Amino acid sequence: MKELIEELKKEIIEVLNLEGMTPADIDENAPLFGEGLGLDSIDALELIVLLEKNYGIKLNNANEGKEIFKSVAVMAEYIAAHRTK
Amino acid sequence: MNYNFHIESHCRITKELVRLNDETVCRNQDGQDWLGDIYHAIGMQYPKFFKMDHQCKAGTLAAELLLHDKEFDRENVKAGWGIVLMNSASSLDDDRRYEETIRDTGNYYPSPAIFVYTLANIVTGEIAIRHKIGGESSFYVFEKFDGEQMLDLAERAFADTPDLDTLLCGWVDYDASVPDVLLCLLQRDENGAEKKLSVDKINKLY
Amino acid sequence: MEETERNHIIHKIGEGVVTPLGFTADAVYAAIRRGERGGVLHEGTFGVPEPFFASILDKTHLRNSFSALTDFGCEGFTHVEMAAILAANQAIEEANIAPDRSDVQFILSTTKGNVDLLEYNPYEPERPYLWHTAQMVADFFGNPNRPIVASNACISGCAAQVEAFRQLRQGTCKYAVVVGVDMLSKFVVSGFQSFKALSPELCKPFDANRRGLNLGEAAAAIVYTIDKEENVPAGELIPEGWAIRNDANHISGPSRTGEGLLRAIQAATHGHDATRIAFINAHGTATPYNDDMESMAISRAGLTHTPVNSLKGYLGHTLGAAGILEVILSAHALRDHVAIPSAGTETPGTVAEINICYNTNDTLHQQDANAHSIQGDHFLKLISGFGGSNAALLFRIKQ
Repeated sequence: MKELIEELKKEIIEVLNLEGMTPADIDENAPLFGEGLGLDSIDALELIVLLEKNYGIKLNNANEGKEIFKSVAVMAEYIAAHRTK
Repeated sequence: MNYNFHIESHCRITKELVRLNDETVCRNQDGQDWLGDIYHAIGMQYPKFFKMDHQCKAGTLAAELLLHDKEFDRENVKAGWGIVLMNSASSLDDDRRYEETIRDTGNYYPSPAIFVYTLANIVTGEIAIRHKIGGESSFYVFEKFDGEQMLDLAERAFADTPDLDTLLCGWVDYDASVPDVLLCLLQRDENGAEKKLSVDKINKLY
Repeated sequence: MEETERNHIIHKIGEGVVTPLGFTADAVYAAIRRGERGGVLHEGTFGVPEPFFASILDKTHLRNSFSALTDFGCEGFTHVEMAAILAANQAIEEANIAPDRSDVQFILSTTKGNVDLLEYNPYEPERPYLWHTAQMVADFFGNPNRPIVASNACISGCAAQVEAFRQLRQGTCKYAVVVGVDMLSKFVVSGFQSFKALSPELCKPFDANRRGLNLGEAAAAIVYTIDKEENVPAGELIPEGWAIRNDANHISGPSRTGEGLLRAIQAATHGHDATRIAFINAHGTATPYNDDMESMAISRAGLTHTPVNSLKGYLGHTLGAAGILEVILSAHALRDHVAIPSAGTETPGTVAEINICYNTNDTLHQQDANAHSIQGDHFLKLISGFGGSNAALLFRIKQ
């Protein structure tokens, strides 16, 4: 799980262009949206693409993402349970 | 004949340099990430910059340079400010990037973060958000830069919109890795600048 | 809007429409009054892997109609160019003007033009550039002036009309030919899909259960001129007020409070009697956020009781054509003293309560009987889009 969390942090920084951030700057238990990293609705859509592209997980609507994108740790758990690649 | 505004200040960004009014702000050294270099050189702090496509980055930098010296109010929406921009390539640079994400059926992952920039006028939105500009925002496309056409568009916007007093107006193009920006800050002025002199000045600046 | 000294007013003298529901404005309006909807389910169209609902033009019909205009067939023209030229040609013929005159200005409204050529371009390299599309249209009619392209996301069609009004007021032209066009492609459909913005069914504007938009292909054109009011025939369309305002909030999400649209409505209706607004033709895309945002702006503008409709259920969101197409169809309706019911709406439900026109009868054929009868000789066109831009245009029908 630790490895997956680290990998996920790197991927998030890359696909969301979080300039100047390193994986160490992201607290895996902090909220990704709102107060946390300050991500917005387009970032959420891009995370849906990340899930599909890198882990073969397909979400049909943006609302499903709300629960999964609570934090990096929650995301990692969901990926571990549902990944197809 | 005079325009109904005067040119308060102007900013030029090319592949080689950045000029604010008549001073050179910085020059392109290695060209790897020229727009990123400008961002750092002018001390801008705006993480959203890194999410933008090249055209928005170029336009946002020029607007930042024009407005960053003043004690600028970025809290309240300014209804009397507008943005009228134009270029030649609309959003084709980002269009090509987006097309890459859907080209290959085996690797088909349409990117929303790229798609959102596949509209020419998103740069007007980015500048409006950054500086809280709530008046008109318009985007036009022409084959080539033409100072007279640009200033005439501004004149019509001022004439038609009584509550417009300040306009960011200019050319914001990014095509084939080449930024080409001339952004002007125009101020309503009933005894404004003489038309021919202004057009000559703008064409010379470009 | 200030009165011009010369008492000259802008008015429409020609119109043209190309949509899946018909190839003239009269035909499309009649189809809509019969309750026809252009949206159908597409599977595999344009090579898009996921199915989608959209209103798509019959390309054989398009090519045949275009070929009938020329001596050289349709060889060398893209679908975007053909549709734009066809719509413009109708408008120019009705206006009975010579399009090669130097006092005629062409203004093209498009968001993506020939963007599908990025995948494969058998033409010259400049062909995907929007100015090139505009030049093709102007050249077809032998017009000597450099055309203007308004590319302002979904509000492009209204932005192009605003620029036309300004040029006519300023006297830089006597006639403005405003043409709006957008075709669908893998590019456009996949992008909207990636935004999770498309409805998995026919769209339901302003409905409590709306699930997104349907896209549509169309071209539409209007010729405007400026003349003394006494020379304007009864029934003709006259723009009375217009405004474009930015939310300064988000590049893709509509303002929750309808801020920019509210300010556009206030500016466009300033000095006009709101009781003369017979109906509001809203953008009404049927995405949850857009329709809520519009309801907020309409309600905050004090127009809670004014009938509101959306035409997206008939023709989909036609992007660069929408702002022109929907003005033409709304003018037809106002001339007939009706507000067209919003197709697809079953149970209105928006964050702010507004007076949505929809069909309470199950059978859409009977729409005429249910068309909302209205009072007033004005209508208000609203439109909003990516980049935070909003436009409001107030029109009057000459009595």
